[in-house]
This record gives sequence, structure tokens and C-alpha cells, in this order.
Amino acid sequence: MSAVASKTSLAYRSRPRRRIDPWNIAGVAFMAFLLVFSVVPMLWMLSTSLKGQFAALQIPPEWIPSNPTLEQYALLLSPSSDIGPRFMRFFANSFVVSMTTTLLGVLIAIPAAYAFSRFRFPGRDFLFFVVLVRNMFPVVVFLIPLFILMKALGLVNTYGSIILTYLTFGLPLSIWLLKGFFDNIPEELERAARIDGATRFKAFWLIIMPLTSPGIIATSIYSFIGAWNEYVYAATFLNDESLLTLPVGLQRFFSEFATNWPGLMAAAFIMSVPVVVMFIVLQKYFVRALTEGAIKA
Amino acid sequence: MALVETPPGVGHLVKPRKSGLFAEIVRHGGDYLYVAPALLVLLIVIGYPFCYTVYLSFFDTPPSSPNWYFNGIANYIDILTDQSFWSITGNTFYWTIGSTVFSVALGFGAALVVDKEFPGRGVIRGLLLIPWVISAVAAAYIWRWILHSDYGLISSVLMQFGFIQAPINFLDSVSLVMPSLIVVNIWKEFPFAMIMLLSGLQTVPEQLIRAARIDGANTFNVFLHVTLPHLKSVLLITTILLFVGNLNSFVLVYLMTGGGPADASQLWITRVYQLAFQSLQYGQASAFSVILFIVMLVLGYYYVKILTSGDARRSQ
Repeated sequence: MSAVASKTSLAYRSRPRRRIDPWNIAGVAFMAFLLVFSVVPMLWMLSTSLKGQFAALQIPPEWIPSNPTLEQYALLLSPSSDIGPRFMRFFANSFVVSMTTTLLGVLIAIPAAYAFSRFRFPGRDFLFFVVLVRNMFPVVVFLIPLFILMKALGLVNTYGSIILTYLTFGLPLSIWLLKGFFDNIPEELERAARIDGATRFKAFWLIIMPLTSPGIIATSIYSFIGAWNEYVYAATFLNDESLLTLPVGLQRFFSEFATNWPGLMAAAFIMSVPVVVMFIVLQKYFVRALTEGAIKA
Repeated sequence: MALVETPPGVGHLVKPRKSGLFAEIVRHGGDYLYVAPALLVLLIVIGYPFCYTVYLSFFDTPPSSPNWYFNGIANYIDILTDQSFWSITGNTFYWTIGSTVFSVALGFGAALVVDKEFPGRGVIRGLLLIPWVISAVAAAYIWRWILHSDYGLISSVLMQFGFIQAPINFLDSVSLVMPSLIVVNIWKEFPFAMIMLLSGLQTVPEQLIRAARIDGANTFNVFLHVTLPHLKSVLLITTILLFVGNLNSFVLVYLMTGGGPADASQLWITRVYQLAFQSLQYGQASAFSVILFIVMLVLGYYYVKILTSGDARRSQ
């Protein structure tokens, strides 16, 4: 409450002597530049996807297509076209893989983060280190040994192989973020619940979990997006066309028709929609989670 | 710190528990169950391949034969004495440092701009984040189309305004390919720096800024003496994460140029892939990977040190 009060009083005080701050002008110009830089490529993708194949190759190019057509989207989404059923299949595959990865990842990360925050077992620091350095290892260099391992486990050409590998992308960030949340929740809260007769699990579920929800939402988004966008492992472990995820499908089926730019852009657009929408809707949790959980200056 | 040490009267109650590491591990046995699933996954996906890669790096694995022959450090010598090694190393650091520095700078600027309250802030923040969220595969194709040698947007616009006579062949030019890729990479990852630093900015206590203002500091001085010191650790973490991410990033370069033309955009990581999956030289690819690990490890050490220093401060 007092924060609101002081803010209004500050605004009131600064109003009479408002002057133009040169830093503000620079800020607006900079923001305009950033917006153009970020958004124009995305708009160009959208614009191209609405053009006919010949219109796309026109010089000078049309910024806004004069004869916009949904032809490419219709092809991709119709069950009777050549590419349609495949594309829908890739989309569904990506969804299943990303959802499974996200759910499993959260289930694994929560207890681990909790233990790293609450318990003082021997080797805790070392194991936390192990979790954190995961992202230091490049994906590509593990392809050979992982492929051999997956083959031995009979996981090649199954979702098991990619889900298992995708789990590790989200884990370090999830564990780190959630640990930050747990660190900030006073242990007394939990202890009080346990004195009242709750089990450790019940105390966790009823007291700790609700306070951690922004962190859980944020780490779920991160895991989902990571899995949705991944290319290298999926391209290596999956061969069967019916199993491919969107990024691999896109690369395999469109790079051969490299001249069909509108089709490629339409497919890229459809692939981007779920993650962009999800992130824009939930981004505030992401910032909040980083602020509350991890970034403590 | 001395204040929190065990008071003398309680000391003897705590001491008997310190009976060896093994007893300690047994006593905490249940705790390990919580971290076991996470560690098991990491062991399978990271631990095992890591050891296997190091092992394989000491073998000659001719693609023509199913047998592998131990050959000591010959793979390493081959790699380090290869004519192209230093130019690839140069590309790798050009790519990594160029992308990181500009992404952090741009992201920092963006964070400062969208940290202020103004109408439409949420929308602008969301728009700026889009490139980071979309798949690198989609990004690679979008930019291949924008930089296309005949029908690309950039060449067309430059020609329309008469700056150039013929289209520029960005991705097939030895001198332009790296800068072009770096610009694409900055486009893709400056939002990450922005969101990290934005979160950091929101932890700067407002009273501190107001106090500085009252003391007569202008915007620039507030930034230099209040905001910047406060963001030091976030800035470091972001930089290290991006540096490592760029050193490891593969998809953008692989799908846009495949390391070409004539190795002009060849990086360590794309070379590793090439050695493994095109030349089928697993031993050499593994040795190259180990060289990459060593660089990573140094960075990883600092990364963890910064991350856990916050941890230590919090648990005090």
C-alpha cells in the first residue's frame, strides 16, 4: 500500500517540472530500432506465407501481398493434400513429445530442487554442480555415444530416446529456479504444518507448492519450448516418417522443395504459433520466477 | 560469521554425529531419493556419453573397418596440426564473442527501455521476445529467405533505393557469411539477455534510485552507480550462459550454411558434426569434442561459482 502511495506522490511532485530528458528520446529511438529488427523478419515470414509461389519471387517484393491467398495453409492443414496428413502428424508428434517432457521434467525437478534447498546431505554441493553444468555440454558431441546407447536400450526410433534427452535441457534451469523459490520459503512454515500433524508430503503439497507455482509455470514453459523446438537429437534418433517432430519434418520435407518459399514460411509460421502464444500469455510468470527465484542481487 | 557458530554448550551434542562420511551418507540416505531421478537422467544422457567420448578420443576409428585401434593422442595431434584448425578456431571465437557481446549489449538496452512503465509495454516486451521463442529451424529458414541471393528482402530493398546495383549474396560470400550469421544469431538471442536483465532490474530497490535522484544524480549517474553495480552478477551469468550457448550452438549455422562457403563459416561444433557424420571419423570427432569440453569446463567453473555464491549468501 505504501508503495502505491509513494508512487503517486512522486508523480505529483515531478509533474510541475517535467522536461524532456534526452535519454528518453534516445530510449524511444532505440526501442523503435529493436522493434523493427525483431518484428520485420516475422512479418516477412507471414507476408510470404500469404503469397502465391510466383508472387513470392517478384522483384521488387511486395511488402503486403496484393493477392493474399491461404493456399499454403490449406495445403498444410487439409487431410487430402499430399503434405497435409504428414504435417498434421508432425504437429501432433511434437505436441505429445513436448507435453510428456514437460510433465516428467517438473515431476523430477521438484523433489530434486526441494532436496537441494532443504537437506544437507554429503555431496550436495557437488551434485548441484553436476546439475548446473549440464548446459555446458554441447548437444552435438554426445550424438555418437548416445546413439550407441539408445540402440542398446532399444530406444532408437521411439519417443523414449528423445524424451529422455530432452529432460536434461530443462532440468538445470528448473532445479536452479525452483531451489531459489524453496530457499525463500521459511522452513518454519513447513515445520508449523508438520507440528499440526501434516506429513512432509502433505506440508509440501499444501504449503510449499502453492507458493512455488510461478516457478513451476515458468520452468514448464521453458521445458515445453525447448522440446518443441529441438532439432538435433530428433533428427538423429528418429527415422520413421510417422514419428518425426515438426522441426525435423520441416527440414526434411521443405528443404527439398526449396523453391516453395510460401509453403516453407507457412509451415514455419504454424510451427511458431503455439510457443509464441504460450510465451506471450505466460511471460509475466517467467519474469516473476526469475526475479523471485533466481536473481537475487 | 563467528556469531552463528555453535555456542560452546551445544557443541558436544553435535559432535558425535561427525562419525565418518559413510555414516553421514547413510544417515541422509532418504535425501538421495529426492535427487535420484534427476541424477539418473543426467547420468545416462550426460555422464555416460561424456566418459565414452573421452575414451573414444584415444582411438583410431577408420570408417572402412569395424575395428578401433588405440592410437594415444594421435587424434589430438591431427586436429591441432590440421591446416584449417586455426581458421576454424578464429571463426568460432568471432562467432561466439561477436554474438555474445552484441546480444548482451542490445539485451541490456532493451531491458532498460522496457523496464520503464508506459502504455503498451507488455505488448512490446512480448514482440521483442518472439525471436527467442521460435525454433532455430524456423529462424534459419526465415533468414535464408530474407538473405536469399536472388529474391531476398534485404538485397531487394537496397536495390530499390539504389544503394547497390546487383543483389548481395550474403551467405555465399566468404567475407559476408560470418557477419550475416552473427546478425541472425543476435536477432535470435538478444531477447534472452533482455529477459534476464529485466528480471535483474526489477530487483534493484526503488528507494536506492530515488535516494540517488534526490542527491542530484542524473539518469546516467543513477545507471552507472546504482543500477549497474546491482546487476553485476546477473550480467555475468547472462554473459557466460550466452557465451557457452553460442560456443555450442549448431542448428542455425548448420541449416543456413553448413559451414560453407569453403569453410568460411565452419565452427568447432559444425566441424565435430562433419567429422562424425560425414567423414565417419568417430575418434577424431571425439577428440575434437574433448577440446571443446576443456574450454567449457573453464567457463563452467566460473558460471557455477557465480551461481552458488548467491546460494551461499542466502543460506547464511
